[in-house]
Amino acid sequence: MFRYYLKLGVLSIRANPALSALMVAAIGIGIGACMTITTIHHVMSGNPIPHKSEELYFVQIDSWSPDEPYDEPNEPPEQSTYIDATGLYALGKDEFPHVISYKSGRVLEPKTEGELPFQVSSRATTHAFFRMFDVPFLHGAPWDAAADDALERVTVLSRPLAERVFGSDDPVGRSVVLNGETYRVVGVLADWDPLPKFYDLNNNPYEEPEQLYLPFTVAIAGEHGSWGNTNCWKPFDGGYEAFLGSECVWIQTWVELPTAADKARYEDMLEAYVEEQKALGRFPRPMNNRLSDVEEWMQIEEVVDEDVSVLLGLAVLFLVVCLLNTIGLLLAKVMRRGKDISLRRALGASKQSLFAQYITEAGLIGMAGGLLGILLTWLGLRGVENLFTGMDFVQRLVVMDWSMVALAVLLAVASALAAALYPTWRAANVTPASQLRIQ
Amino acid sequence: MEFGPIWRSLKRNKAGYILIATQIAVTMAIMINSVAIMQQRAQDMGRPSGMDEANIFTFSSTAFVPETDMQSLIEEDLDAVRRLPGVVDVNATNSFPLRQGGSASGFALEPGAGKDSISAAYYFVDEHGLAAFGANLVDGANFAPNEVIWAAEDSDEWPGTAIVSQAFAKALFPEETGSYVGKTMFFDESRPVQIVGVVERLQAPWKGWEDVENAMFVPLKRDAEYQRYVVRTEPGMRDTLMPQVEEMLSQSNKNRIIEDVRTMEDVRTLAYLGDSAMIKMLTFIVTLLLVITGLGIVGLASFNVSRRTRQIGIRRALGATKTQVVRYFQVENFLVSGLGIAAGAVLAVALNLVLVNSFSLRPLAWYVVPVAMLVMWSVGQLAVIGPARRASRVSPAIATRSG
Amino acid sequence: MLKMTKVSKIYRTDTVETHALREFSLEVREGEFVSVTGPSGSGKTTFLNIAGLLEELTSGTYELDGRDISSLSDTERSRVRNEKIGFIFQSFNLIPELNVFDNVDVPLRYRGFKADERKKRIQHSLELVGLASRMQHYPAQLSGGQQQRVAIARALAGEPRFLLADEPTGNLDTEMAKSVLDLLSEINAKGTTIIMVTHELALADRARRNIFVRDGHLADRPPEFRLAAVAGQR
Repeated sequence: MFRYYLKLGVLSIRANPALSALMVAAIGIGIGACMTITTIHHVMSGNPIPHKSEELYFVQIDSWSPDEPYDEPNEPPEQSTYIDATGLYALGKDEFPHVISYKSGRVLEPKTEGELPFQVSSRATTHAFFRMFDVPFLHGAPWDAAADDALERVTVLSRPLAERVFGSDDPVGRSVVLNGETYRVVGVLADWDPLPKFYDLNNNPYEEPEQLYLPFTVAIAGEHGSWGNTNCWKPFDGGYEAFLGSECVWIQTWVELPTAADKARYEDMLEAYVEEQKALGRFPRPMNNRLSDVEEWMQIEEVVDEDVSVLLGLAVLFLVVCLLNTIGLLLAKVMRRGKDISLRRALGASKQSLFAQYITEAGLIGMAGGLLGILLTWLGLRGVENLFTGMDFVQRLVVMDWSMVALAVLLAVASALAAALYPTWRAANVTPASQLRIQ
Repeated sequence: MEFGPIWRSLKRNKAGYILIATQIAVTMAIMINSVAIMQQRAQDMGRPSGMDEANIFTFSSTAFVPETDMQSLIEEDLDAVRRLPGVVDVNATNSFPLRQGGSASGFALEPGAGKDSISAAYYFVDEHGLAAFGANLVDGANFAPNEVIWAAEDSDEWPGTAIVSQAFAKALFPEETGSYVGKTMFFDESRPVQIVGVVERLQAPWKGWEDVENAMFVPLKRDAEYQRYVVRTEPGMRDTLMPQVEEMLSQSNKNRIIEDVRTMEDVRTLAYLGDSAMIKMLTFIVTLLLVITGLGIVGLASFNVSRRTRQIGIRRALGATKTQVVRYFQVENFLVSGLGIAAGAVLAVALNLVLVNSFSLRPLAWYVVPVAMLVMWSVGQLAVIGPARRASRVSPAIATRSG
Repeated sequence: MLKMTKVSKIYRTDTVETHALREFSLEVREGEFVSVTGPSGSGKTTFLNIAGLLEELTSGTYELDGRDISSLSDTERSRVRNEKIGFIFQSFNLIPELNVFDNVDVPLRYRGFKADERKKRIQHSLELVGLASRMQHYPAQLSGGQQQRVAIARALAGEPRFLLADEPTGNLDTEMAKSVLDLLSEINAKGTTIIMVTHELALADRARRNIFVRDGHLADRPPEFRLAAVAGQR
């Protein structure tokens, strides 16, 4: 029977090409608009480290001014002071390994004759970074704790940078010169591109990871300036030493807590640490510690661009308009075919079979609309990409994966079926005789 | 004309009309709020930065060889650029408007910890800063050369004078009706800073900052490895000088990198790229929406015409002129649109409240809703005209055809 | 009142030319009750359409109430239909989505009467057909006879100079048909000219003058048609 309905559907679509085209277009455009924004939203709000996101916690402690909160209503600072980052790092050394890090930049001087020095982004971090964030290696391995402690000038390169400097050779053991200082390459990352860049939401959350990684201790000793935000509330004397001792926040602190028990013990430790600091005359605000897992932290930091949220809302409403349009057109079509329906009923078609017939037709239109929608989504994403020429990171947001393609078709068919429900119900309720005589 | 019977006849055929009215309502809610967003963005984009944007280009210089004598490097750069014909002036600074990165601090009216303060961005300049930025000094005087101090990158030295934007001065001293020159504010709890000049405008580097109009020039030069240069040229000379300066400085000292060479116009475009993209996307969405809703009206009206062919013939037989038939469909559309538009206005305002509360949207301007109503009504009338004309061509002889 | 002289009507499609009326002439005087009969395809309906100004004629002249209407514009023809002619159709042609009151109101609206005038006329004509109590009903809620009476009320409300009735009882049973015909006779008695097109001879005989159309001409009524028609009567 389904094949018969399919045939009837195709016939009916062919019999009303303009009306059918209008419906397919309405669904397609609605899906296109909706899916374009949904795709971007999907990338923006994606979980960059799904298997582990609930074990990784961003640490916030409230070292801010007694006079006002860091942010209303009573938000602790988004980053840590040097004192606290290193203090927690030392305290948790055995039980709770931390990653403390910040973004910086270096100038790399190629050894090849004639090649000009160029700037690279760098991440000053502790050795656990790679293990904690599951960063894959192509060559070599992370540096170890001893390298952190001994201020060894070692570095891990991202794959693109390694290829730029060393070609396709394995550069482990070789060296690079950064701002006049020689670093030994201990590893090269495989392709790694967490989106959003959850471990540092200070800068653009959609930018690419840093080009190279070096020990936090080395960066501090070399006074590498931060490329992220530095926020201060208390004056401090001049000089880098004074800056390190200041109440300025500029370092991201992460800790890995696999179980609830770990988390509870860590919270106790954190509280004890803050109490201790209070005793030393710091932390003038009430205790306000916060641990946020990856997804919570992305939420707090509002990584999804406000415009995208607004556009998503508008796009959903847009789809609603397109569907209302489709319902209206389907209703018109059904009512124009009152005679045909009435005749079929007279010839013995049951309500159910009429319902099935019209739903099949609507499903066909939905499929066509979905396919058109996918095409339009692709075009829409290219359009967005084009609008943002000059902002390279946007290219990373306008990528359609299979889940989005599937969602588009699903949404289109579901929309078409939903739109068809009322008109089809009306059609199925046409009485057998009513339409045969009149007019 | 015949509102009554048309209205009563509408009520007999609810479903189709409710659909189209709802469609109009939602379309209007989207349209009005999109327009509100676009207006706000366009308004933001129209704010001047306080710089002579048309004739300025900027670039960064990053020194990478340890122990580079930054002070002489910077002085040499400035000197070399300043000597080029066509250059009005040049300055090395930490940031500039629209750069989306820079520094700001709170400034209080009284010394001491915990005093209320007002935030402002600061730009480190020397006595050439005003000319290089092309800022318009409206009161007081420029920095004297001996006012400008050199400081190490991490030094806590801070000069005792500043040239501030009018908006910032007004925010600091709201009661003041005369000159702001000579007034004192406090930086870092206890350091007095005296206002020596006021510029008409000077934006902070972040276009989305709530205090974006609060900024100041500070007579300080830092020997940091990382410098931003601002070069102002004679009108028409910018595009010639930009590559020339880049080439010259890249060659003059190989211990640094010249990067991010951009005209101020490009800096502005980049800063507002998201906003202009938003405007374009919303324009596209609204246009598409109006087309779809228009087509929906055409579709429904066509359907109504074909469904009512007989009725139209009867009306014609009973003496309706062609014009009256057209009018009938226009009035019908007017009523249905009217319903949708009324609901749409309410929906639009409700949606606007949501957007204002949860996002940084400003409330609607008073005229947006009435203008949108007119637009929707026009779209409806335009869409119905074709089917209505078709209806008017129905022959009255249909009435005598039986069955 | 009505004078057709050598009226012809030709329908043309790409391949076929149909002569629906051939040099048809007829004069109807004020106050007459004329029936027009003829077999299917004889040109009855074409005559009706032309007499009622629903279609334009191909050649000949047509004077209505002393006015040559063959050269009128579409708008003027609408006006004449509205003011001078009352239509009664076989399938009643009430507008299903309007109630009785609004249905009778339709031609009055186009006439441009003021609201109280319209109300008075609607009331009056519905009283005349005995349906004043059904004003708020919709056509679907009425019997066939009642619907046709509403249609007559609608035709009368504008006080036309003549009524054009097209198979007015075609969709009615005998009893209802009789009451409708009685009503028409009554109206005629009050001075309104009536032309009634029908294929039912019994009906035609109620009129004071019978006209027979065949192949687009006026013709004598042939005896075999009389028999056939009688046999076909309900």
